[in-house]
Amino acid sequence: MNYIILLFFIFIIYSLGSALYYMMNDSGGGSKRMVKALTIRVAVSIALFVFVLFSFWMGWIKPAGVA
Amino acid sequence: MQSRLDYFVPEGSYWPILGSVGMAAMLGGFASSLHGNTAGTVSMILGFGIIIFMVFGWIGQVINESETGTYNLQVDKSFRIGMGWFIFSEVMFFAAFFGALFYARTLSVPWLGGDGNNLYTGEVLWPEFKSVWPLIQMPDSTNFTVPKGIIEAWHIPALNTLTLLTSGATLTYAHWSLMNKNRIGLIGGLIATIILGVIFLGLQVAEYMEAYQHLDLKLTSGIYGSTFFMLTGFHGLHVTLGTIMLIVILMRAIRGHFREDRHFGFEAVAWYWHFVDVVWLGLFIVVYWL
Repeated sequence: MNYIILLFFIFIIYSLGSALYYMMNDSGGGSKRMVKALTIRVAVSIALFVFVLFSFWMGWIKPAGVA
Repeated sequence: MQSRLDYFVPEGSYWPILGSVGMAAMLGGFASSLHGNTAGTVSMILGFGIIIFMVFGWIGQVINESETGTYNLQVDKSFRIGMGWFIFSEVMFFAAFFGALFYARTLSVPWLGGDGNNLYTGEVLWPEFKSVWPLIQMPDSTNFTVPKGIIEAWHIPALNTLTLLTSGATLTYAHWSLMNKNRIGLIGGLIATIILGVIFLGLQVAEYMEAYQHLDLKLTSGIYGSTFFMLTGFHGLHVTLGTIMLIVILMRAIRGHFREDRHFGFEAVAWYWHFVDVVWLGLFIVVYWL
């Protein structure tokens, strides 16, 4: 389970990082590479959130609690 | 090869020295106020005021210079590089706090419980101590507040995650609107993002009140309380700053600033907001779930 979450995070950080790269390098000119990367970032983040809630509902994970 | 004429050389400015005076007054005052000196507190507040005045004055001047066409692409590039270093410092800042959580949770607390090759550490120091996370039962709670429980991931934190993720979506809508020359969409998306940011902060305050008043979970609640409040607190501070920056961007958007091919101010703030959003997602998973 942790590895799946990690995989999601790698995707999120990759898309956020590529948005940063495009912001640093696309000076003007109306390039849409940055906004596209950020859109992917948002989509994957929402997917991760839904996945965590779904896993909780299925009983695959439980929140950190007092043991 | 660029000629020297390509470089923009600004006029002499009094903002840096004013900022330095503000910083000295604020930090000197803060140090002095720790010793119970009232004049120190006054100096701290005054210094903070000077810094705020400097930030708005200086950035206002930069915005004005940008809008009047003073800047060329070389200046644009220098802004981007400056933002890059700022982001680097932010990543390092949060890496330190996540690192502290990792160290406490995965290494030092289990060692105290006798994990790894530290069997005698546990037996000699606190033989009854069992290492569990969240660390509610401390080995020696004499100088700490023992919490009755922790914040449930399922309640406010989940709602906060939903709020922040939605704000990421509304900001992306604003971004696309800007790229597609839809000024109304840009303004509407920014307003929605700001409202969601404020809701997030309100929920965070409610969570802290719950922690302090009902759960006795405080900054003084040992390593769990410390890492919890340092991580979520500094994140909250970043959301506050992000919201203020978004308000400035909204004001500029209303005034007709930013074009689809030139809008670095918007891009920088948008990226910052997305970054803060991802940090929260990391916090939500690492602090509340795992």
